[in-house]
Amino acid sequence: MTSSGAPSRKALSKIASNRLQKELVEWQMNPPTGFKLNLTDNLQRWVIEVIGAPGTLYANDTYQLQVDFPEHYPMESPQVIFLPPAPLHPHIYSNGHICLDILYDSWSPAMTVSSICISILSMLSSSTEKQGPIDNDRYVKNCKNGRSPKQTRWWFHDDKV
Amino acid sequence: MVTAATSAMAERLKEDGNSCFKKERFGAAIDAYTEAIALSPKVPAYWTNRALCHMKRKDWTRVEEDCRKAIQLVHNSFKAHYMLGLALLQREQYTAGVKELQRALDLGRGADPTGYMVEEIWEELAKAKYMEWELVSAKRSWELNSLKETCEAALNQQRALDMSQTEEYSDEGYSSHTERLKALDLVFEKAAEEDKPTEVPDYLCCNITLEIFRDPVVSPSGVTYERAAILEHLNKVGKFDPLTREKIDPSKLVPNLAIKEAVAAYLEKHAWAYKMGC
Repeated sequence: MTSSGAPSRKALSKIASNRLQKELVEWQMNPPTGFKLNLTDNLQRWVIEVIGAPGTLYANDTYQLQVDFPEHYPMESPQVIFLPPAPLHPHIYSNGHICLDILYDSWSPAMTVSSICISILSMLSSSTEKQGPIDNDRYVKNCKNGRSPKQTRWWFHDDKV
Repeated sequence: MVTAATSAMAERLKEDGNSCFKKERFGAAIDAYTEAIALSPKVPAYWTNRALCHMKRKDWTRVEEDCRKAIQLVHNSFKAHYMLGLALLQREQYTAGVKELQRALDLGRGADPTGYMVEEIWEELAKAKYMEWELVSAKRSWELNSLKETCEAALNQQRALDMSQTEEYSDEGYSSHTERLKALDLVFEKAAEEDKPTEVPDYLCCNITLEIFRDPVVSPSGVTYERAAILEHLNKVGKFDPLTREKIDPSKLVPNLAIKEAVAAYLEKHAWAYKMGC
């Protein structure tokens, strides 16, 4: 698996690191339900435990999200992937890449790690089958060498799941 | 009398000064600006440019002199107020320095993006204000503590006196004494609350920077953002409102004066909120 490969690592700008400090404090005071942040001393990479919501296909499953912040966060979206093993889901590839528009074209700087997490959990919760994307093998093969999902040209075909 | 010829010569000297400044030859730049001033003393930019050279050399007395001169000529030069503020802070004249920085901040708001220095001015202002708060609040907390100790001692003395006057030990006397001590604790806890850093309310913070507003502007959808942050978003991410995703034309952003006043009032009461980056 190459999905944990580091994206290009330029140090956070001052604006980015100020903003992440704030997000961290806010997270610690009001952590979103179903998530646990594993703190390291690296502000630029957050590893977050996701616990499947009760009453859904993923109840009691735990997964790990890895969030990497670019130099100009929040003007650029963070890179968000699942660490292996990724959940089986029609929009989540086996290399951990997530097909979710807000992470790419529809990113807005008013979104936060916490709001991203909630979107991902709601995407999991609304799934009706535990199955990978139809084009999984082709996509994963094309993503060799730890390519970032932010370099993929995504097609967001449906918003049902 | 300044003729067209002398003012043209002064202008050329200023250009010389500017090019020396770019090469970091501050002494030579100062000489050029000095000559320009001698020819045409009523141009504020000559004074502020020379002040900037003095600032690079940390010659704060001269920075102050030149800035004051520039302000005499034109009262609304945010550069002059900014440098004067820094010079005064350097010389530990906090109140006067803070006043100048605040003036610079007011003048710098809404300025064209090329000369936009709100963040820099804010940082200097915040540093000075926070330092001032640390001093004042430490003194306040020391005074409260000593007053509290005096009150406690007085209550204990009263209790000792009461006990010596009654033969029997009474539970009632004991419990009313502890009640009083507890009430005293509460009163002092309340009094210390104002100096306890908590969280700045969300409505005084930008949704993008998550920090307290410096120069708030309101979008056509009615959402307030930090000017520099929303402009950067419109330039780099897209011409839409980050929260409502409605289309925005950058010229449609207008200052939110009410929020600006609310921020000023909040900071007046909670100066700890000047602390940066946490």
